[in-house]
Order: sequence, then C-alpha cells, then structure tokens
Amino acid sequence: MKRTRNLLVGAGFLALLAALGIAQSTLQRTAAAQAQGAAQAPRFEVDPMWPKPLPNGWYLGQTIGVSVDAQDHVWIIHRAASMDAVEAAADEGTGTCCKKTPPVLEFDQAGNLLRHWGGEDGTGYQWPASNHGLTIDHKGNIWIGGNGAANDGHILKFTQDGKFLMQVGIKQAGLGPDSNSQERFYLVAKVSVDARTNEVYVADGYGNRRVVVIDGDTGKFKRYWGAYGNKPSDEAAPYRYTNGSVPLQQFRGPVHCADISVDNLIYVCDRTSDRLQVFTREGKFQKEIFVAPDSLGDGSTWDVAFSKDAQQKYLYLADGRNQKLRIYDRQSLTELTNFGEGGHYPGQFYSMHSIAVDSKGNLYTTETYQGRRVQKFTYKGLGPVMKKEQGTVWPRRTTN
Amino acid sequence: MKRTLSSAALVSVLLTAAGAGVVAQRGGASAPALQVNPLWPEPLPNHWVLGSVTGVSVDARDHVWVAHRGADSLEGGEKGMTLTPPTSSLCCAAAPFVLQFDADGKLLSNFGGPGQGYQWPQSPGSLLVDAKNNVWIAAAGLEPAPPGSGRGRGGVDTTAAGVAAAARGTAAPTGPADAHVLKFSSDGKFLLQIGTPGKIEGPESQTTLNRPAAVAVDTAASEVYVADSGNHRIVVFNSETGAYKRHWGAYGEKPTAAGGGAYDPAAPPSRQFRDVTCVELAKDGMLYVCDRTSNRIQVFQKDGKFVKEGIISKNTRGATVTGQFGVVSSHGSVWDIAFSSDAAQQHIFVADGHDKKVLIVQRDTLAEVGSLGDGGRQPGRFLAVGSLATDSRGNLYTGEQHHGKRVQKFVPGARR
Repeated sequence: MKRTRNLLVGAGFLALLAALGIAQSTLQRTAAAQAQGAAQAPRFEVDPMWPKPLPNGWYLGQTIGVSVDAQDHVWIIHRAASMDAVEAAADEGTGTCCKKTPPVLEFDQAGNLLRHWGGEDGTGYQWPASNHGLTIDHKGNIWIGGNGAANDGHILKFTQDGKFLMQVGIKQAGLGPDSNSQERFYLVAKVSVDARTNEVYVADGYGNRRVVVIDGDTGKFKRYWGAYGNKPSDEAAPYRYTNGSVPLQQFRGPVHCADISVDNLIYVCDRTSDRLQVFTREGKFQKEIFVAPDSLGDGSTWDVAFSKDAQQKYLYLADGRNQKLRIYDRQSLTELTNFGEGGHYPGQFYSMHSIAVDSKGNLYTTETYQGRRVQKFTYKGLGPVMKKEQGTVWPRRTTN
Repeated sequence: MKRTLSSAALVSVLLTAAGAGVVAQRGGASAPALQVNPLWPEPLPNHWVLGSVTGVSVDARDHVWVAHRGADSLEGGEKGMTLTPPTSSLCCAAAPFVLQFDADGKLLSNFGGPGQGYQWPQSPGSLLVDAKNNVWIAAAGLEPAPPGSGRGRGGVDTTAAGVAAAARGTAAPTGPADAHVLKFSSDGKFLLQIGTPGKIEGPESQTTLNRPAAVAVDTAASEVYVADSGNHRIVVFNSETGAYKRHWGAYGEKPTAAGGGAYDPAAPPSRQFRDVTCVELAKDGMLYVCDRTSNRIQVFQKDGKFVKEGIISKNTRGATVTGQFGVVSSHGSVWDIAFSSDAAQQHIFVADGHDKKVLIVQRDTLAEVGSLGDGGRQPGRFLAVGSLATDSRGNLYTGEQHHGKRVQKFVPGARR
C-alpha cells in the first residue's frame, strides 16, 4: 500500500509530499533515516514460483548445497536417500508419486531443470555416503563434499557434465577424525576456490576441526589451521555451548563454510559456536563475531555469501537455527538487517542450509531436514534500512 | 485495501510467468481449472508455525478455519523457542490449534487446547464449521495406524523415536485415547462432547466412538454424521444433544470390529470400511464417505441406504515411517473430499494424500477427470494432502499433514 510505494518514491519528492500533508510514520522514518545517513542494505523479495516443478515425478530430499555458474545457472545438491518411503512412494511401488532424484541438479534462470547426475560410485571415485555442499569454481568445475559418518574422508571434483576429474582423500568404512592429516579429510561441509591462486579452501568439517588449503589441480595439501589459527585438535569439545561461555580455542564444528572474499579473507562458519571467524589466506586470525549467541542446537552460522558489487560490501549469512538471512556490512561485520521466518511458505525457512548469489545479485537458498527446497530471492537494489527484522519478504513488501 | 489489490495482481503475473499449478485434464472431460495463490495466508505473527494440518473448513462468510496438531507434530528445530532450554529466541513456536483466516489470508482469531469439561484431542482430525458457525473437531488419535484397522491406537509412542521424544520433552500428549467429537462456538466456548476419551466399545455402541476422523452436520435435521474410523462406520447423533440416532457400515451393512483388513488392490472390494476419514453432505442430500485405505468413495442416502461407490487410484497402497516426531502413516488415495462450488456441485475434489495430488472426479459418475499438483514442497505441490474445503467463489483450500504443514489456496484460473 502507500508505505510500499513511498519507498519507491525518489528522495526529491519527499519534501513535496510532506508539504502536501502526507505525513505518514514510514515516510517520516524514511526521511529521517536518509537525513541521518542511515545504512543502506540490499533488499530482496522471494520469487515464490521459482524453480518450475521438477519433471519425472522427482522430489527433493534434504537440499544441502547451492552454487551459481558463469551462465547464472543455479546448481544444487540434495540427499536423495533422505526421502522416506512416503515421499518415494513411486519408487516403492505404493503410489504414483514420487521418485528419488539424482543429487546434482542444474536450473536455468527461468527455473527449468537442465543437467542432473550423480549418486553412484564411478571409475576412480567413491560417491559420498552423504553428499554435502556444492561449489562451482572459476573454471566451471564442480566440487562436492560429504559428511557420511565413519565413511566420508574425501572431496570430489567433476565437470558440469558429471565427468569425474579428481578425488582428494578417501572414503573408507570406520574412518574417524584426524585434524592433522595431510592426506584426507573427515566429513567435509563445502569448499571455496580462489580463482587467482587455484587454491581450494576446504571446510573440514563435521568430523575434523579445521580449514585445509589444497591445490585445485593436484589436490596436494598446502596448509591448514584451526580456530584462531591454532593447530587443530581432535580433543572433544564440550557438547553444550552456552551463551557467554569462554570461546573455545578450537572449532566446535561443524566447520560449515570457508569462503574466500575478493580481498583475500577467509570467512569460516563454526556453526555450533554461533560464530564466524575471519582469516588471511595463510590462516592468520583476523577477527570473529558471534551471531545470535543464545542459539543452541544446530547453531547459527551455517553458510556465507558475498554481495555482487566489486568490493563485496555486504556479507550474507545463513542462520539456519533462527531461520534468518542476515545481512552484514562486511568490513565492520555489523549486522544491518535480516529477513526470513520459520515456516514452509515462500520466503520462510526450515533449516536454511546453503546460500549463493548470481551475477545480478539474486540470492538462492536451500533447506535441509524437512525444508527440502531451493528458493530464489530477487535482488531489489540497495535501500535504507528501515527495520532490523524484516520477517517474510514477499513481493512488494520487502521493507516497511 | 490497495495492498490487497496490488498483490493479487502481482500474483496473477507471477503465475502467468511460471505457468504452474494448473489442473491437468484427462479424457477430454471438463474439470475446474485452478492455480495456486503462493502468497496465502499472510505470515503468522509471534514466530508461530503450523504443525501437521488435519482439518480445513470454510464458513458461511468464506472464512477459512484450520486445525493442526501443534507442537507434538513439530521437530525440535521447528519449535526451538518452546524447548527446555530454548534453542532460539526467534524461531519458532506452534500456532494455536484452531485458526480462522479471512479470504485474503489475514489471521482473525484462534483457540484450542485443554479446557474445562472436555479433553483436547491427542491428535485433532478434521474440523468443520457448521451453518450455525459452530466448530466441530474430531479427536482422531495418534499414529501409528495399523493398516486396515483405522487410525492410530491413541497410545503412547513406544518406538525408539517415541522414547527419545519423551526424553526430550517433546513427546505427544498423553491421556486416554482419542474417542470423541467436540463442538465449540466460533469463539472457542465448549458446547458438546460426543463419546468419551479412552472408552471404546465397538461398532454397535450408541454412546462411544473409536478415533473418529470427521463430521458432517445437517443443520435442518439437527443431525451430525460422524466418520467413526476405528469402528468402521458412519454414526448419526442429534447435533444439539448428542443423542444417538442410527449407524451403518460399508454398503449400508452392519459394521464389524475387524473392519476390512489389509488392502489388496487385486481383491474384490471389502464389504467393510477400513478407514473412514471423511463424511460430506451434498446439497442434493447425498452423503459421501471416504474409505481412505480402500481407495474409494461410497455414497449413501441420509438413512444409510447405499447408493454407489467409486474406486479412485486403485493401486495406491501406503507406507508407515518413523520420523523425528514419531510415526507418520500414509495409506490410500481418498483422505478427504470437497464439492465444487457450482450450484450443481458437478465435481468432487479428492485429497489423494499418498499420491500427493488433488484428484478431480465427476460427481455423477465418480470418474476421474483431472488432477492438481504433484509431490513437492514448493507452492502448488503437496506432501500428505489430507484435508480440503471449497468456498462460495470457487476457491479450493488444501491442508497437508506430516511434514507438509501448510494450508494452500487455489484460485479459479484458466490455463494460459
């Protein structure tokens, strides 16, 4: 209504409108915010009908990775095995819908499903017991982690057609943590790739408590570190994190993201510590923030992505515990605003797990557990922050 | 008001672009064309979320009433604000059990939960708002459902997941097994209980029920028809006093405690109801009954005389799985029905929960002529769609059980 339209009105009209006696609280707040030089932040609204329905009676399981390629195609990875007998009734022969779906899926901007593959072992590689995370690198290749307990100690690299390129580490029954291994990982959440050095930053992970850097072509281990840049240790962390407790000197884990920014900083999610730590490429600790530190259970720092401007001025953080997409000023790590609510409707989340941004600044989210979907949030440009918690961002109601 | 109009227009644009949610038609017969309104209802306040939705009904003002299972059907991550200790201060808590929305999706009122003089259901089933604006709720009972013998046993979940849930303090509500129907005023004042929780005396009882799933009310006759699922019968009471009137089983015959047994698509139709999950009265006085796990609709006169039956998705069977909030059971293709909004009620919408679709059948022939949706979590898709209602303007509302946990609105719209 009027409020929404007012936000679209140019600043030049504000005085005129005020003179006409249209004195609305939002209008006043907008004017006041601009007068005080209020922070600007990216605005989004959900596209409720993206993507198009899957063909073939297919259905998404826990959707636990997303990345965008150079053509702005959106790639996701999900766990087909997480579909239960009710969901996979067509496979089970008890009903007409639905069927387990290949784990790696490519969508175009219109939401059409394009390529789809994965899920089986192949020559030279072992598909993870529980695939986890998907990243497209600067060469267009696809990296996949895995967190199948007592099994997955490896990451995989494929072409976009699903042709196997490299496995680093091993998959082996009975595997356990070894956060100082130079040969394999344990339960990797995701990777990010530095286009300038062809180095891969591995969030290792659900079992190990470290970030590992490997060469993107050879897989050779180059360096690794734990929380604060310390030598990582597999000594068990106290299970129950409490708000205000002395920060652990090790990652509590899962180490759920390790994303490199344009200015060569590595942002690491220590999920159940509710914290984000920032490092140089060499693993020198820079700073940390705590996010909704009263969050227990799964923790609040699930994934990060950067805004599309050249400086990556904004950092997006997926808080899958509180179902908020949090927007930070990246330099100061000050939270500017957030959106999202718990629920199964468009723009809401249940366990928002992974996020990615396309070239136009649009944001994609995936949900694990019983969320089981990918959503698109259309970038609506920068605007003054009017509300710290925006709630569900439906079309035309992004800020009010 | 302006907001409503502009967002409605926007929805229409979005739908045109996406081309989704449109009815598929079969065999050249005409069927109502419907499209999902993805932005209905408005987001709930107070970080509330819906649990497994078990009932949807539309009242005389086209307001939409919803019943859901609440906290016992939510996973820990969905109700972090109410755990001990809380795992979140921002997400989420179960919404009250009964919610009233207007046609635009604005939440108008809510009620539900324990009160004086009645036992709130362990698991509510269907909800009905009658012509006098009273709200009826069937106490349908907890899963697991033994295949072929009706709904859940109404006991404490003794599976490993159930024991773990009890230890977390997130177990299902305890108390005598659901075996009753409740009637409230529209503001939640308790009016009448038929049946007694924990008291189950079989299909010849004139005073007790067994995990009833749904009701229909004939206001002119002051009669309430109860889909008495666990007793494999339809039973009729005076809707003001609860006094017994009559009952019958499948084909109008005498119901048995054994019911129809396990469903076998190759076997002849059972002479007994398996799992009676809906009862609906058409404008022409015909009574329609869902026999969920038998994949059929049976039609009766009000006196129980059998008229006809229709088999829907004959080969659909089912599955029972254990999840974080206990056992969920999904069996059969006829979970609920709703009549189309036209004066003649030419079509019937059928909630085919296990197949994750809404089927459209012609009311006169009971032949399938179309379908709506398919499995999935996006708008217009379904998981365990189990309750349906239509309003006066041709809109269809759907409720999803299990992990679906949504009420969706479908609006008339020709395919473009």
